[in-house]
Amino acid sequence: MKVTWKFDNLPGRLAERVRTSPWVAVVSGLARRQAGSGTAPIVQPASVAGRALTVVIAIMTFLACLTSGAVYVVNQSANDWFADIASEVTVQVSEGQGSEFEKKVTLVSLFLAKQPGILRVNPLSAEESGKLLEPWLGGSDVLSALPVPRLIAVEIDRSSPPDLNALRESLESNFKGVTLDDHRRWQAELRTVTRSLVLGGIAVLMLVGAATVASIVSATKSAMASNREIIEVLHFVGARERFIAHEFEKHFLNIGIRAGLVGAFGATVVFLLLPLTMRLLSGRGLAAAEFRQFIGSAVLDWPGYLLFGFVVVVVATLCMLTSRFGVYRILKSYD
Amino acid sequence: MIRFENIGLRYGLGPEVLRDVDFHLVPGSFHFLTGPSGAGKTSLLRMLFMSLRPSRGLIHLFGQNCSDLPSSERADLRRRIGIVFQDFRLLDHLTTWENVALPLRVFGESEASYRDDVTDLLKWVGLGARMTAYPEVLSGGEKQRAAIARAVIGKPELLLADEPTGNVDPAMANRLLRLFIELNRLGTSVIIATHDFQLMDQCDAPRLVLHEGHLEIR
Repeated sequence: MKVTWKFDNLPGRLAERVRTSPWVAVVSGLARRQAGSGTAPIVQPASVAGRALTVVIAIMTFLACLTSGAVYVVNQSANDWFADIASEVTVQVSEGQGSEFEKKVTLVSLFLAKQPGILRVNPLSAEESGKLLEPWLGGSDVLSALPVPRLIAVEIDRSSPPDLNALRESLESNFKGVTLDDHRRWQAELRTVTRSLVLGGIAVLMLVGAATVASIVSATKSAMASNREIIEVLHFVGARERFIAHEFEKHFLNIGIRAGLVGAFGATVVFLLLPLTMRLLSGRGLAAAEFRQFIGSAVLDWPGYLLFGFVVVVVATLCMLTSRFGVYRILKSYD
Repeated sequence: MIRFENIGLRYGLGPEVLRDVDFHLVPGSFHFLTGPSGAGKTSLLRMLFMSLRPSRGLIHLFGQNCSDLPSSERADLRRRIGIVFQDFRLLDHLTTWENVALPLRVFGESEASYRDDVTDLLKWVGLGARMTAYPEVLSGGEKQRAAIARAVIGKPELLLADEPTGNVDPAMANRLLRLFIELNRLGTSVIIATHDFQLMDQCDAPRLVLHEGHLEIR
């Protein structure tokens, strides 16, 4: 079966560029191989240098995918965490005793529920408020003797949020001893932490990226050096520079795609198993829950996996371009 | 067809290895290029093949001045020249047939259009039974004939051979010489670089003799 590619509907120059693209050559080459035809490729498909390059690319792609995936997960978790905090405000009712106090909490809750931009109002009971103080004061009966303020958790509609300043003024004018905390200070600190985490991740990603580029360029150059004789022979039998470069681009793009896919597949397996591994390692205690709360579920969504595809494309392109420049550098020494 | 005008060649800042080389070869000619080792035979062949630029002077090939040709046009000129290397330069991962077909593949011809030509040529040089063999299992003489077949498959107007009999016994050397003479009869100009006087004595062809950087035709 002969595989043909039709680009008749594309404008002339674009069609020519697409037709001569190494990416098209690699894909159509794979299709031809599946169809069971074709003479041996001009560039030796399997050589020691080529195998070493494959291993280097697979490992570096794996590391680059792991790092980019980790940075992506941290960024997503930080955003989710930040969004959770930003969508809630707390109202504190601090003055009052006995049934009057309970009545005041109910009135404040009803008042809040009527305000626009508020989705849910959750007044915490005396027990729940006491539990929040237990880590500092212990679980003794001393809490019942103290004038513990009551908290009301208010979930706001982020799509049309209320005017918090107006709400604060309204609360303070209508109820004595009631304050609204919009967590602004906490949010600012959180924003600093999350930005630091993401920036740190990006710095690591850049380092891994630089190491990946350096390793792949170096390994490709070594592989190109072992192919010098082929370039020389092609040059002497009258091959044009573009032809020789194209043959090597095809070869190294093929290696880059295959090895890159192996590395990306390895990283995919790691991220698929990561939630399970985290559950097994962290157990079921409070510390584990806090840990999960902090770093999220470590589940990569589809844009995250798409990022792996992008890494593979970058790695394969890097191989292709390095081989192209290598060919031209070697050919220049003959002219 | 080939014109060298006042050619000089030096490597780096060293002395000139070729000095004031002038000659003119007509189409269909047969020449030996000879001289002691290190006289500059290979350098002269490389200049003929445009893989080495002279330090001074002009080289005209097929009516074109080679000095300022862009790389694509130099590649086109190379297609009109076949070259046989002393060390064969066959690609180890290709079969004998694929090695010989390589120039036509490079020229962009379809395999169907040259399949029979390559097979016929391999039979003509006595390698009909070795078409699927890889270079590592070929003898020195077989490699040399495969290299010659690769050089002539594109029907070049000029054939350059660098010490083509250096790795073979006298009987094989004679066979290869007859092959070159036959190619010359078919219209290809031939230049054989050699210092094998026994080989040159078997053929009444003019000799380009390099000595101390100068060239004379005898």
